[in-house]
Amino acid sequence: MRPEQAPTDRGAWRLVARRDFWVRLRERSFLVSTLINIAVISILVLARASHVATAGPSFDLGYVGSPAVAQGTVELAERANVELTLHGFPDIDSADAALRNGSVDAVLNGNELRGFEGVNGTLADLVQASARNLAVTKLLDAHGVSQQERDAANNPEPLTVDVLHQTSAHRSENGVIAFVAVLLLYGQLFGYGIWVASGVIEEKASRVVEMLLSAIRARQLLLGKIVGIGVLGLAQLLVISGFALTLALATKAIPIDLFQTALGTIGLVIGWFILGFAFYATLFAAAGSLVTRMEELQNVIVPINLTILVSFFISIGALQDPNGRLQVIASLLPTSSALAMPVRIVVGAAPGWQIALSLLILIGSTVLLVPFAARLYSGAVLRTRGRVKIREAWRSAA
Amino acid sequence: MRSPILSEPVLRLIDLHRTFDGVVALDGVSFEVPEGRIVGFVGRNGSGKTTTMRITLGVLQADAGTVLWRDRPVDEVSRRRFGYMPEERGLYPKMRVHEQLVYLARLRGTPKDVARSRATELLEELEVIGDPGARMETLSLGNQQRVQLAAALVHRPDVLVLDEPFSGLDPVGVDVLAGVLGREARERGVPVVFSSHQLELVERLCDEVVLIDHGRVVARGTIEELRAMRARNLWRVAVPSVHDAWWDVVPGVTLAGRDDGAVVLELDGAADPQRLLDLARAEGDVVDFGPVRPTLSELFREVIAE
Repeated sequence: MRPEQAPTDRGAWRLVARRDFWVRLRERSFLVSTLINIAVISILVLARASHVATAGPSFDLGYVGSPAVAQGTVELAERANVELTLHGFPDIDSADAALRNGSVDAVLNGNELRGFEGVNGTLADLVQASARNLAVTKLLDAHGVSQQERDAANNPEPLTVDVLHQTSAHRSENGVIAFVAVLLLYGQLFGYGIWVASGVIEEKASRVVEMLLSAIRARQLLLGKIVGIGVLGLAQLLVISGFALTLALATKAIPIDLFQTALGTIGLVIGWFILGFAFYATLFAAAGSLVTRMEELQNVIVPINLTILVSFFISIGALQDPNGRLQVIASLLPTSSALAMPVRIVVGAAPGWQIALSLLILIGSTVLLVPFAARLYSGAVLRTRGRVKIREAWRSAA
Repeated sequence: MRSPILSEPVLRLIDLHRTFDGVVALDGVSFEVPEGRIVGFVGRNGSGKTTTMRITLGVLQADAGTVLWRDRPVDEVSRRRFGYMPEERGLYPKMRVHEQLVYLARLRGTPKDVARSRATELLEELEVIGDPGARMETLSLGNQQRVQLAAALVHRPDVLVLDEPFSGLDPVGVDVLAGVLGREARERGVPVVFSSHQLELVERLCDEVVLIDHGRVVARGTIEELRAMRARNLWRVAVPSVHDAWWDVVPGVTLAGRDDGAVVLELDGAADPQRLLDLARAEGDVVDFGPVRPTLSELFREVIAE
């Protein structure tokens, strides 16, 4: 009748998505959650940065009498990446005074290395090694060994290092990146999933859903809502990740050569967010359609919440034990893989076939879940009196 | 009131059945709505009106039966051209009035600029008082009701299906809505179905009436047809000076009731009203004599009572 009018509702989900995106963006809770995320990330990154800055140990060594052993220790300390400062004392009393007020960590007096309450093992080892070197040098001098022979003995062919199990060179940094990633993923999957559920309930509670369903099909409405809120979650994730990366590089919390890894991790987080969100949000939407009032929301989403929470803890466990049986299983099951698999990938523990299998299972089960959830949704969403049982919803959509 | 144009039935509901958890809601509902006609859908609470309308709009599935629009089963494409006002009112409470109308029109495929100007037009036509940029929840209930009607009209629908559109409106609102429905039907040829418990209104506005009870259509037609079909042949006679049953001598006449000093007599096919009048005049001064034309309410009660 009106040629400019679109004949079907096929693109209607885009309108729904756009509305949900903008409505949620203008909500106060979006701003609050963005700020909280940024605050948490800042604390984590800054804590890491200060840890990195104070990385190598440093000691103050006092000595009385000959400086030879003490000077030899400085040389060794340098090679061992330990900062060592020497303090000469004219007599043992002044040295003890310095020990007591804490300005030196230990005092070397002839054969004795004295500490206040004890001597750090690293420091003691270094001093011992220096004393041994000195003794050996004296012995070599006595035997008239040439400089050439000494150099050959002192600098043997460098060892080649090999390992049975290859892990990433920056395992500790990767662990931190993975931890931040899983924390972010958990927050996004959980928070935005609840937004989907509450969005569904809002439409049910205000009864506007009947107007909507007289215009477009339930599947379009469901799809639009999930996409709209998901894109917002994605946008927030990008902003937060960009912020975290910039801050981490600026404060040297992660070394510049890990920039690639960090970028790759952000890519991973985004990819798994999209897949995991599609899975969880579909469940959240179906759950939300079963109730009519916001107060009842908690009751129906408990099973989903628990699933996400348990997945989160297993994923944290994967930071320590990425190849534990539980972690491997969790990284394959669709209910937990969106959280567990990215961690295993970042710490470098997941073989390619497991990643591929995990992706296949997650995508496949989402594809299977969508029509199931859409049917529950369309069967339940018009029942605006009280809570709907899953079986009723299923049948009334028939 | 009735359109002089002979119009074709364009919306046809054919033998709709629906059961909810073993309870029969619709038990073979059939009726049709001609182009440009207003059909009143009347029945008690729980008789199946809302279920029928929901099935027509596709928000609910029928167990059996079909709805035809211009001889083809209603599908996603034709349904987008329907205008609907659900019994359970509701729009987004926090969305702005004009924005909301534009959104609903666009969901049904209306281009953005057309939707905008149409929404502005409608808010004026329906005399919605207040700022079109205000949030829905800040409007008075009467105004919200008018916006709800605007939501049914904003995409210039080919059909209007309105569930209790008059409930909650003040007399001015009733007149505005009646005017809009009349224009949609007469000027644009839109078939209109609405349900209502305000039977005087239905009698005044509708070309045809469909009476539904226990999920079945129990009567349908123009008001005149319903009267001819259902009504008893009743005559009201007032002869103040006489108190005894003077009509007993006329064959085929029985007392149907008394009404404010007059008697209401039922005549069977053989009885002649003129003969009754002659007899009454012979008894005393006749101050009132005439056929009783039952109102729709009376017809309704009579049909439902069966």
